[in-house]
Amino acid sequence: MLQLLLIGACYTLGLAVAGIAFGTVLGLLLTPLSFVRCRPLRALYHVYVFFTRGTPLLVLALLIFYGLPALNFSQGPYVAGTIVLTIYSSAFFAEVFRGGVLAIQRTHLESGRSLGLPPLAFLRRIIAPLALRYALPPYVNVCVMMVKASSILSIISVWELTLAAREIIERTLLVFTVLGIAAAFYFLMCFGVDRLGRLAERYLMRRGFVGEHA
Amino acid sequence: MRFVNWIVVYGPNYLSGLAWTAIIALAASVGAVVWGGVLLLIRLSGGLWTNLAVETYVQLFRNTPVLLSIYLIYFGFPLIGVVWPAVICGGLALVLQNGAYISEIFRGSVKTIDLVQFDAAKSLGLSAWGTFRKVVLPQVLVYGLPSLGGQVILLLKDTSLLSAISVAELTMNAKLLTEQTGAAYEAFVVVAVLYLLLVVCLELTARFALRAVRWRPRHDAL
Repeated sequence: MLQLLLIGACYTLGLAVAGIAFGTVLGLLLTPLSFVRCRPLRALYHVYVFFTRGTPLLVLALLIFYGLPALNFSQGPYVAGTIVLTIYSSAFFAEVFRGGVLAIQRTHLESGRSLGLPPLAFLRRIIAPLALRYALPPYVNVCVMMVKASSILSIISVWELTLAAREIIERTLLVFTVLGIAAAFYFLMCFGVDRLGRLAERYLMRRGFVGEHA
Repeated sequence: MRFVNWIVVYGPNYLSGLAWTAIIALAASVGAVVWGGVLLLIRLSGGLWTNLAVETYVQLFRNTPVLLSIYLIYFGFPLIGVVWPAVICGGLALVLQNGAYISEIFRGSVKTIDLVQFDAAKSLGLSAWGTFRKVVLPQVLVYGLPSLGGQVILLLKDTSLLSAISVAELTMNAKLLTEQTGAAYEAFVVVAVLYLLLVVCLELTARFALRAVRWRPRHDAL
């Protein structure tokens, strides 16, 4: 029984990591959309973020799980689950990165512009490091949220820790033991992600920190 | 065109689910705020061990998914002889989970209360409970209002998980409709729009509440 839960925890972690990875990529592609000069594109960004963050994850998951086969894309629950997590997290990540960019002080941007860098170098040398440091704590928060959100995928029959726990409960009725162990696994995973985030923050602070944390 | 057709034919089916979702969300948020207040009171008035207990409770519920809490109460309570209807079990799980988050919000708000006020309360002869009731509680509720609004919206989205223990709310409605009619996505798109409408209503209420209490950000806000 413990092995089954352990394997479920590995599936949960895999799903969460996949969702986070793809979601980060999608979020990085979405964030510039909120800064373009074309107003309809900015509106599109805000509509996407509002729709994705405003609907419950379960509704989104059911929508994609039942809707994908209608588009002839039936690859199974794991792919559907990863797609759901990707879309859901991309909205949060886009807002996190956007907040990171907006948090950069105007003085830094102006002094950077006075250097006369080409746009790509400006992005690489000035915006990216600063935004990364401002965005890291909420980014880690969203990652923890994704680990917990993967449990919701159990309702669309994605086999992971919560579904494994539920199956065991339905057969053995050891509710408190099984759920206690599952909760311990989730706790370890979320706590681990949180600690990793703090390590990353400390590493970045050693490489050079900006801000008024005096 | 298809959607208009769908809404005309199946619209009324959603109404009961919508009502249930709204009722559960409202009741659970009131309960969560009350429970968060109780946790705050315990934290403010306790010693080292009670503080540790509350901290453990909060960390436990912050790092575990809501679904586990819902399953724990729904499947576990009947084993110890407490048989409650699914709505109560789900509502209790939501209250416990969100109460932990709300007590954290309150804890942050308490830090923004000037220490002078506690001295003034003591000089007025207010007891600990009196200070809590007259000084801490009103300010904490007002300072935490934006975060509380966000937490209530999160609670609304978490009510959709109650469909997993077959509570007849909005998401359950959508699932049943999909199974009955075989339509792939119309049911869920309409439900998503309904949830978004609820979220917009909540956001408008939060904005109205902020204006009603004349909320201003604190100058020394961290």
